[in-house]
Amino acid sequence: MAEFNETIHQPVRLRIMAALVALEPSDEVDFTYLRDLLGVTDGNLGAHLYKLEGAGYIAINKTFIERKPRTYVAATAEGRKAFQEHVAALESILKGE
Amino acid sequence: MDISPNEAEESLAAIQRMMQRTRHSIANSGICISLIITGIVWLVGYVCTQFLPSEIVVYIWIGLSVLGSALATVLGIRMGKRVRSPSIAATAAATAKRIGLFWLLLVFYCIATIAVAWPMDGKQRTMIIILFIMIGQLAMSLLLPFSSVWWALPITVLALAGYFLLPGIFYLWMGVLGGGGMIVFGLYIRSRW
Repeated sequence: MAEFNETIHQPVRLRIMAALVALEPSDEVDFTYLRDLLGVTDGNLGAHLYKLEGAGYIAINKTFIERKPRTYVAATAEGRKAFQEHVAALESILKGE
Repeated sequence: MDISPNEAEESLAAIQRMMQRTRHSIANSGICISLIITGIVWLVGYVCTQFLPSEIVVYIWIGLSVLGSALATVLGIRMGKRVRSPSIAATAAATAKRIGLFWLLLVFYCIATIAVAWPMDGKQRTMIIILFIMIGQLAMSLLLPFSSVWWALPITVLALAGYFLLPGIFYLWMGVLGGGGMIVFGLYIRSRW
């Protein structure tokens, strides 16, 4: 049976994972772009990313581009698997299984 | 944690919406900026062409083209940094070169066509340039999703309608409906992110 994931189920984290899983597995997205896409504040997004990173579901890559700091975020293989299982669990609930 | 079927359905719908929005945003971010910039160039350029003497209009078009290209390049580079894609980084540069070469050759063919068909008036020249740009845009559907290039079809229809039905206000027509249409469509794509 698919596993329901309480860490991912929180509404903002659910949308973060949905956005990251929609990318190609090797792609990573800029922090500010993700913030605008989700319509949340820097602090709110940072807190949820920290939680997801702690669970091993995302990887955060801090780098410099043209001497400016940039933060990129990507879903890990473990995060993708947990997300798929969570989606399957939601589908099972919907089907009344 | 107990989840009701209703809550599960809402969560699945939220996931679906977010995934679609992300894919849509990534696919169309460049298109939206390019549409808005081209729309502004057309709006200003064609409205000026309708009302100002041709000696001044030439300089306005040169200025608008240089400004539009520079702005599109800067914004394109900035947008490219939002999603890093190591999987396509190697092929992206080669594809960009092929696209650049394609547009360069298209400009050559457009100039050659105008030279062969010479003499022609300003409206005929403008119409041929618009048709070549729209052919190039539609050819981009070989590399981009069709949803990113279909706007070239209504613009072509608008241009042909203005050329054949309203020759007296052709430039104004192209500026307001062609340029304005591109701006509105670009803003519409942006609002759907």
